[in-house]
Amino acid sequence: MLFWIVAAVLTLCACLAVLLPAMRVRGRAVADADHDLEVYQDQLGELERDAARGVIDAVEAEQARAEIGRRIIKLAAERKQDGSAGSGRLGRIVATIAVLAVPVASWGIYAAIGSPNLPAQPLQARLEKNPADSSMQELVARAEGHLAANPEDGRGWEVLAPIYFRMGRYNDAVVAYRNAMRLQGVTAAREIGLGEAIAANAGGMITTEAQAAFERALEIEPDNAKARFLLATGFAQEGRTKEAEGMLRTMLDGLAADSPWRGAVGQALAQLGVEADPARPGPSADDMEAAALMSDNDRAQMIENMVAGLDQRLRDNPQDAEGWRRLVQSYVVLGRMEDAGDALKRGVEALGDEGEAAGDLVAFAAERGVVLEGQVEQ
Amino acid sequence: MTRKQKRLSVIGGAMVFLALASGLTLYALGQKTSYFFMPGELQAAVLEPGQRIRLGGLVEKGTVVRGEGTAVAFAVTDQVHSVKVAYSGILPDLFREEQGVVTEGTFREDGVFVADSVLAKHDENYMPKEVADGLKATGLWQDDD
Amino acid sequence: MIVETGHFALVLAFALSLVQFAVPLAGTRLGDQRLMAVAGPVAVAGFALTALSFAALTAAYVQSDFSVANVWENSHSLKPMLYKVTGVWGNHEGSMLLWVLILAFFGALVAWFGANLPATLRANVLSVQGLIGAAFFLFVLATSNPFARIDPAPMEGRDLNPILQDIGLAIHPPLLYLGYVGFSICFSFAVAALIEGRIDAAWARWVRPWTLAAWVFLTGGIAMGSYWAYYELGWGGWWFWDPVENASFLPWLSGTALLHSAIVMEKRSALKIWTLLLAILTFSLSLLGTFLVRSGVLTSVHAFATDPSRGLFILMILILFIGGSLALFALRASSLTQGGLFHPVSREGALVLNNLFLTTATATVLIGTLYPLLIEAVTGEKISVGAPFFNLTFIPLVMPLLLAVPFGPLMAWKRGDLYAVAQRLFAAFGGALLVVLLSFFFVDGIGVLAAFGIGVAAWLMLGAVTDLALKSGIGSVGAAVAWRRFVGLPRSVFGTALAHFGLGVTTLGIVAVTTLEVERIVTMRPGETMPIAGYTLRFEGIQPFQGPNFTEEQGRFVYFDAAGRERGAIMSSKRLYTARQMPTTEAGIATRGFSQLYVALGDPTSDGGVVVRVWWKPLVLLIWLGGVVMMAGGTMSLLDRRLRVGAPSARRSKDVLKPQVAAE
Repeated sequence: MLFWIVAAVLTLCACLAVLLPAMRVRGRAVADADHDLEVYQDQLGELERDAARGVIDAVEAEQARAEIGRRIIKLAAERKQDGSAGSGRLGRIVATIAVLAVPVASWGIYAAIGSPNLPAQPLQARLEKNPADSSMQELVARAEGHLAANPEDGRGWEVLAPIYFRMGRYNDAVVAYRNAMRLQGVTAAREIGLGEAIAANAGGMITTEAQAAFERALEIEPDNAKARFLLATGFAQEGRTKEAEGMLRTMLDGLAADSPWRGAVGQALAQLGVEADPARPGPSADDMEAAALMSDNDRAQMIENMVAGLDQRLRDNPQDAEGWRRLVQSYVVLGRMEDAGDALKRGVEALGDEGEAAGDLVAFAAERGVVLEGQVEQ
Repeated sequence: MTRKQKRLSVIGGAMVFLALASGLTLYALGQKTSYFFMPGELQAAVLEPGQRIRLGGLVEKGTVVRGEGTAVAFAVTDQVHSVKVAYSGILPDLFREEQGVVTEGTFREDGVFVADSVLAKHDENYMPKEVADGLKATGLWQDDD
Repeated sequence: MIVETGHFALVLAFALSLVQFAVPLAGTRLGDQRLMAVAGPVAVAGFALTALSFAALTAAYVQSDFSVANVWENSHSLKPMLYKVTGVWGNHEGSMLLWVLILAFFGALVAWFGANLPATLRANVLSVQGLIGAAFFLFVLATSNPFARIDPAPMEGRDLNPILQDIGLAIHPPLLYLGYVGFSICFSFAVAALIEGRIDAAWARWVRPWTLAAWVFLTGGIAMGSYWAYYELGWGGWWFWDPVENASFLPWLSGTALLHSAIVMEKRSALKIWTLLLAILTFSLSLLGTFLVRSGVLTSVHAFATDPSRGLFILMILILFIGGSLALFALRASSLTQGGLFHPVSREGALVLNNLFLTTATATVLIGTLYPLLIEAVTGEKISVGAPFFNLTFIPLVMPLLLAVPFGPLMAWKRGDLYAVAQRLFAAFGGALLVVLLSFFFVDGIGVLAAFGIGVAAWLMLGAVTDLALKSGIGSVGAAVAWRRFVGLPRSVFGTALAHFGLGVTTLGIVAVTTLEVERIVTMRPGETMPIAGYTLRFEGIQPFQGPNFTEEQGRFVYFDAAGRERGAIMSSKRLYTARQMPTTEAGIATRGFSQLYVALGDPTSDGGVVVRVWWKPLVLLIWLGGVVMMAGGTMSLLDRRLRVGAPSARRSKDVLKPQVAAE
């Protein structure tokens, strides 16, 4: 409310700045020639001073005086009376439009681009709020305040590091992991966290520094699947396909049959252009986790690629009820409802209109808001 | 001399001066400019021996070798081709592996680029514009945002 | 509330700038005094609103209000208060807000002090200012709004760029903008004169102080930027002929030309059209500078956030103002009456020569700066035009100008006597020659060119002193009279002499550093020594040091003079700002008189040593000191009473045919 009052007062002042001078009745206007005369007289005075001081010699002074004199005579000749004080009707119209334009333009533009309902939020005031009302970010800020005062609190850094990572503050996560390791000692998990943060900070690129972190993690825990997987991803990014493939294959052999990493490794191998394990292709939870490392663009790109791959595979090999279900689901998640509908249609066709599998697919899709075209009529 | 002649001679003098200045500028533009290349573009380029160019790209991973005293060797790459660079002096603060650099100098007869200046900008997110354009053109680098 | 008030005030200021453009212009067209009178109060109100807006943004920075996107992107709650405040204009949006604030400020100054201007001229000038303001307000609101909000607000800001947290860089942009934007007034006056089709006698008297003020600020801004790059980047260079530097140097060169041609116009009513053109060109170059820096079309050693859409917008502003004003010029210039005649050898002639050289130099720098852009647009090839080009073209153009400078102020108006002036400068010439010979025989490692360069510097300084001595009559009248005359000299005479003297000082610094500088790059182990320029530098060792928000490796050096006495210690370090993991070099600098010993630390070597780069920079401080002297000269001229024009009174205007000085 206060804001609107202030805004109204400011607008009023601005309008008055236009209105008052336009209404004031003026005395006789001073002709331009009078201003010129003033200047010439000034110049004469200055000339006298210079001559008196001896800055210019007498001949030069005399010449200059004559020149200024000539200008003044010329001035008198071209002098004319001008400048009517009264404004005609046209002038009054211009003034009226101008006065009205100020509030219309300013309120109009502000309505389009302003955020009048958003209060100012000075940091101090936000920190003094009751912790129970605080958002996650405010809690983080509080923790940061604590760590600024006690930078040697290793546990604090340890807690904060993954939170930073999730908030997308990768740079801070790097520093936090480093501090946690300095104060709490090096562990494989911390090294991996550090490496992930460095990579995320580089837009998903496994840099030399990140690689070094994963390597250190592997020295501590040679069996750590995540470190190995990420290291292989780094090789793959560099184009060292052979090394990446070798590493992933060794890893796949060593993994337990129910290891959640199987899917991710298989997918990674598939991306390298190698058929790994035809058992379960397609995006898995772990792929999504790997995708979380990447920048938004890369991630979107990767998901698109996976979905497109799945789509293609189903065109080649349509007798896959589970596959169709995954495809519909993927399109729904991506918000591409038309494609989802299309996938449903193709799936139903492929699985046979009246079959049980097709019925399941239709039900599955309906739960997700995807309806078969022409279904209503049926 | 009449007033007209005087005026003409003044204008003539100014013209001669301007002609000299333009000539000098054109000459300098021909002689003192240096072309920018990415490593991949060098194959196609025709360089005179000793011609100064600017070479840009990323510092290739694992190629930075510090030699005797102030000598440094590294390779500049566009992720496909790479060129060996020799430099003597202090590298900029933000000179790092896999970061963009622009070096200026000439090619030695053995194909090593001898740089007398190495530039990495004082902004941590810096990717020199030419390098970014070059990498984009080859499809090896995408804008993050 | 504060933030949105600022936002609203900015929008309102935009609306007022439209009024400021349209209404006074309509007033002059209709001959309506009341409409013309609207300009002043609206300009003042617009300034007040812009100031309010700027204050609101500053408050958001001070209070770390991260609901403002601009604050979130460029500040941090742990930043020292000083840098929170200077951070307001340390980024694109904030600096553009500062730009419009300064523009509005100058508009308000014209409104305040313009009471004695002819009414139509005043209305037209403010109208043009209003149009410039409207264009830039729109630019800020549409592409670079500093008041964009984030909801929910983040808890911590992103930026703590340490290299920008420097007092030099905090002062540099405002000074530069005061210069750039100051020239907008000259531009507005020029366009107003073209609109009216007549140049009032007061025109030049009005334009000159604005030019002077803008020039003084621009000089300061350039000098400050150069010194910052020198000590902060750790490369030991003070001028790189970098596009961003050229962008500020171009309006300085043409502004200097304008400064001189405006003198002719004021004194002799000559060179009117040329002066008008220079005023337009100077501000156009300021706009071009803003465009080059803000659009990111040029690569530069200076870091700036860039955005193509902004570049396009500024390009449109550029085309509108440069194209529009030049078209108006082509249309109207011929209708302006020409003024007094003069002989080629005269004060006017000397000033024309000055203009010829300065504008040609401006053109070469402009070509060198834009040529790479042109080539890339036409052929797609990327080339760079660097220092070798500018050294080859700029220096030969400027050298003759420097040689001619001492002649100028001694020439008489209208018709001068070159021979007589040369005679009067004989002592200065002898002195300069003596300096050449002395430096050639007594300074180690000096070449003929360097000795000549030092001679030119001496010639400039001695010439300036000669000017003052002759004008106060030293040598021809008694000491007491001479002193009285000296004290009574007009301030503009002092200003001229000071500025020319400062030019000599800067020249001396530049010549000394470029020709006599000693640079050595060596690896040093603790305890080792190296000789440099008569001093001996000993490396004491490296110690880690923990700063408030950085860690650093401090290299400690001690230096001894030729006699082996210890003269002081130098600390040079590699610093790592932990928050951003950003390394910087903190050069160690020891000042001896006007010269400096500059030590930059490099990387450690495998054998326990460290690469050290050491420069001996003889007389380097004179480069910037000369700039300060030039600024003092400009300020002195600005204080001259001649530049204050009285307002006509009704009584006086009746005596129009009696040109005698009124008895008052």
